[in-house]
Amino acid sequence: MNERDSFLRRLRSGLWGLPRPAIDDIIADYEGHFDAGRAAGRSDADVATALGDPSRLARELRAEAGLRRWEDERSLASALGVIVGVIGLAALDLFVILPVLVGIVTTLFAFLLVGLVACLGGGFALPFALVTNFPGFMGDRLQAALLSLGVLGGGASLTAFCILFTIGLVNLLVRYGRAHYRLITAGSNSRLRD
Amino acid sequence: MDSNLVQFKKGVLELCVLALLARSDSYGYDIASRLSAAIDMGEGTIYPLMRRMQKDGLVSTYLVESSSGPPRKYYRLTEGGRNNLNAQKAAWTDFTRAVAAILELDLEKTS
Repeated sequence: MNERDSFLRRLRSGLWGLPRPAIDDIIADYEGHFDAGRAAGRSDADVATALGDPSRLARELRAEAGLRRWEDERSLASALGVIVGVIGLAALDLFVILPVLVGIVTTLFAFLLVGLVACLGGGFALPFALVTNFPGFMGDRLQAALLSLGVLGGGASLTAFCILFTIGLVNLLVRYGRAHYRLITAGSNSRLRD
Repeated sequence: MDSNLVQFKKGVLELCVLALLARSDSYGYDIASRLSAAIDMGEGTIYPLMRRMQKDGLVSTYLVESSSGPPRKYYRLTEGGRNNLNAQKAAWTDFTRAVAAILELDLEKTS
């Protein structure tokens, strides 16, 4: 198979999952590059080697698309996109930060859960505290109402804090991801010659 | 390649592209071949970078009919890109001057 076709095929398969127009756009860029290379008198094999590893390029382009989506809209899905994209870059030191990341995310999730439960529990208890005495509760109605309000408020702030922290964490991941691409050395991949 | 060197080059790649485009509009292959000769980078890297710079509003694109094959995509520096270039250039000049001063100081001591 021709080096040009094999490069473009590997790039296309690596971009799987991106929107169709985005893939066509990217492929068109690289096709144009091969054309310009031919016009300059270079062989397809030469151009392919100078371009670098198509799988690696695809990973970067996908990661970048994920980071962009996060910057455009803050949602759980786009946050997951960032995490998957950055992991897809498979930078070596990611294996060092991955366990730390898993720890942080687990802790965060636990706090978020506690916050939500407290928020719901407080909100649920508040109306009851206003109209009736809790069985087994030592204080009067006002105390019960204030206590419910306190739990509600505490839960809400804990939840809000967790969400803010998550946004900050994902932004940090975006910066980490960006620091790990942009430069791929030419011909770093021997598989290109297969 | 030495990983420190890779980090250095990563940082200046965007600056170099902006500087090239400030001189004249250009297309991907041209930018890539000129830069790869100068700073030894994979030519394929240029397209993810151009894509990002376009989305950041630093460059805009237009198509030019070519004598051979499909139309070529040219990149042009936007107003924002020009401002960005000036800011980055100033920062780069200050930084390299400071580093050079320190390196020379070091040379004098050791010699």
